[in-house]
Amino acid sequence: MSISDAGILSRSRIRAIVTSRPFLTFAIVALVWIVASFVSRGFGSYGHLRYLVELAAVIGLVAAGQTFVVIAGGIDLSVAAIVTVAAVGLPLFAIDADPTGLTPILAVLAMTTAIGLVNGLGVALLRVHPMIMTLAMATFLQGLLIIIAGGSAVTAANPLVSWVGNARPFGVPAGILVWVVVSVVVLVVMHATPFGARLFAMGAGPLAAKLSGVPIATTTMAVYGISGFMAGLAGILVLGMNGQGYVGIGDPYLLASIAAVVLGGTSILGGLGTYAGSIPGAILLVTITALITVVNASPGWRSILFGTLILALLLLSGREAARR
Amino acid sequence: MASPAPILAARGVSKGFFGNPVLRDVSIALMPGRVHALLGENGAGKSTLINLLSGALRPDSGTIEIDGQAVSRHSPPEARRAGIAVVQQELSLTGSLSIAENVGLGDYPRRFGLVDYAALAARAKAACDLVGLHEPLATPVGELSLGRRQMVEIAKALYRKPRVLILDEPTSSLSATETRILTTLLEKLRAEGIAILYISHRLDEVMQLCQHVTVLKDGTCTADRPLEGVNAAGLVRLMVGRDPGDLFPRWDSTRTDRTAIAVAKLSAGAMQDVDLEIKAGEVVGIGGLVGQGQEDLLLGLYGAIPAKVVSATIGGQAGLPGNVPQANARGLAYVPADRKREGLHLIHPILTNLMLPAFARMPALKLRNRAAERETAMGLALQFSIKGDLGRAAQALSGGNQQKVALAKWMPHDPTVLLLNDPTRGVDVETKREIYQMLRGFAAAGKAVVLLSSDTPELVHLCDRVAVVREGRIVTMLDRGGLSEEAIVAAAMGAERERQAA
Repeated sequence: MSISDAGILSRSRIRAIVTSRPFLTFAIVALVWIVASFVSRGFGSYGHLRYLVELAAVIGLVAAGQTFVVIAGGIDLSVAAIVTVAAVGLPLFAIDADPTGLTPILAVLAMTTAIGLVNGLGVALLRVHPMIMTLAMATFLQGLLIIIAGGSAVTAANPLVSWVGNARPFGVPAGILVWVVVSVVVLVVMHATPFGARLFAMGAGPLAAKLSGVPIATTTMAVYGISGFMAGLAGILVLGMNGQGYVGIGDPYLLASIAAVVLGGTSILGGLGTYAGSIPGAILLVTITALITVVNASPGWRSILFGTLILALLLLSGREAARR
Repeated sequence: MASPAPILAARGVSKGFFGNPVLRDVSIALMPGRVHALLGENGAGKSTLINLLSGALRPDSGTIEIDGQAVSRHSPPEARRAGIAVVQQELSLTGSLSIAENVGLGDYPRRFGLVDYAALAARAKAACDLVGLHEPLATPVGELSLGRRQMVEIAKALYRKPRVLILDEPTSSLSATETRILTTLLEKLRAEGIAILYISHRLDEVMQLCQHVTVLKDGTCTADRPLEGVNAAGLVRLMVGRDPGDLFPRWDSTRTDRTAIAVAKLSAGAMQDVDLEIKAGEVVGIGGLVGQGQEDLLLGLYGAIPAKVVSATIGGQAGLPGNVPQANARGLAYVPADRKREGLHLIHPILTNLMLPAFARMPALKLRNRAAERETAMGLALQFSIKGDLGRAAQALSGGNQQKVALAKWMPHDPTVLLLNDPTRGVDVETKREIYQMLRGFAAAGKAVVLLSSDTPELVHLCDRVAVVREGRIVTMLDRGGLSEEAIVAAAMGAERERQAA
């Protein structure tokens, strides 16, 4: 390849990156931050921005699983319930023999992964529509939570959980570090492994994927299993940050996870997208929430404003090009 | 014959998309009582010309005339009012609506502001009778086979009592019987003074049916003349721009003694009790009327639908493959008929389409090697002469090139058995020839090829043996010696004759 060829290639590559959805979403986040820091004093301070990213980590973790599911052509409406299950369930697993607190965490993650696998089982083998399957699962889990936890909040006396929620190694919140590690792993699995390629094929055309030899059932189960695992991880993080778990703690993360995925440019129809877009999508969502809080409005109006803003953003950037 | 004014005509029309000229100064005149053939390879501009005639597109220059009058603002509703009906190649039916509702769609008879279903049924029935569509009118179209849906599409055009009928590859999914019904019908409509524009890749039909021909090549008109005195080879020369040579490669037996597939009493989907033995190096054809269960036979062998069998040896192992990955592991590959939905992922790059079977078989979490993938895909593109940037979405490719991608993607696995479901449907002549040569090449390389086809000449010229399927059973196995189009059609129609006799 001659030098001029390489020059053209890299220029077209730069152009592709600059016009890509993940980059544009990052640009919107940066723009909003800059404008907001001029308008509202304190918004642009390092501590505040760090706090926003820390909050975004929870959404980002849930959205990681959701991105997998959506790219593979499904949707997981049980993530909010699974976050709550993890946050409320963790104290139940407390084992005195383990002073590190690692055992309960592993037990909770195994449990939420298993919940996800059951979702996948229903979708892949019983052929229940993903919306019905995961919504039924969410309802089931909510009932279970009410029976087990009742109305009271539970407090976690787990050293590892409170470390994840509060520690700041090198000045960076542990939650953000967890999110960075997860993001790297997710991006590698999604874009650099055959497993990831199979997901895109399944989402773009399940029949063509099946006839090309993609193992549909196991891949579907894996995808919902990952979503369960990620929601469990988010639940542990949110428990650590809050100090307390209660029924309903996961509720905000259903719409947030789907909105982050779609804001990041992943097609809700499946087959196209990247987690690299969901990351700024999650940060953007938290930023909007923070801005609304700055505007002095009642909770009702805040909710209305939030919903309207998400819709407006999606209309601006997230409309699907006509396809198929 | 005195020349009356053409009902519909284009005078010197040109059309370009994004600066690329697709049609340049093309004229065509559709006369009443004449079947006019429009020929050209894929991408020659046939569809664009039809879209101009039907008002779906506006010409950049030139005019469209109806009854000798130039129309300034031609649009689809305008065209419908003028009696122009188009039967599109891509079926435009709604699967969940009934036959009658589809046929009358957009022009329901009304009574007191409500749909008059009795009148609709009567009018739809008249149209369906014309095309020999005898299924109950309340049947949802989604339950019909592709060939029957095509007949519904034609009935839908006839329902409006058109003066101009434009048929875009109407027979590509029709069986021999249905094609004959259509031929008779078109003769009748022609006698009634309707102008017919007929697009087909099947030259024998064109020779038989049409009186006049317009040939497009690369957007320009290379011939506009009566069909008298032209033969099929001459037509191909006009389309391709050079001598056609033989469409089919020379047939030599490359059959070996190794058994690739042996099944006894296989039942899958609509197929019942199939006994079949296929040797390596053999091309076995599957023929018969469209929708007799042939596809289920291939899918059953491929492990894609549940199947039962008394005994089976496939790819050197006993028993049927339980699922597609198992079938692939045994060396089977399947190329579907519906390449847009089942064969390819149109929104994904050509490269990932070519690599998908590899992704399906590699260890799930092994890191991908992009450079190696690119090299493999470029090799395949070169070997199959697939034209196009590998990074572009597969939907940018022409039909013929898409089909080559659907076939090429299996080659890295060096399959021992190729199950091909109508691989040349809607593919231009040049690509057809390439695919035929590949098939014989596969057989010569010791692969077993199962060729399901709705194109009878293809079966005759390429296959060692042809199994003719009727109502879910193999009724005849024709050996090379007894292979002819007549024999295949006769075997396929056996049931029809019995029904008429009864």
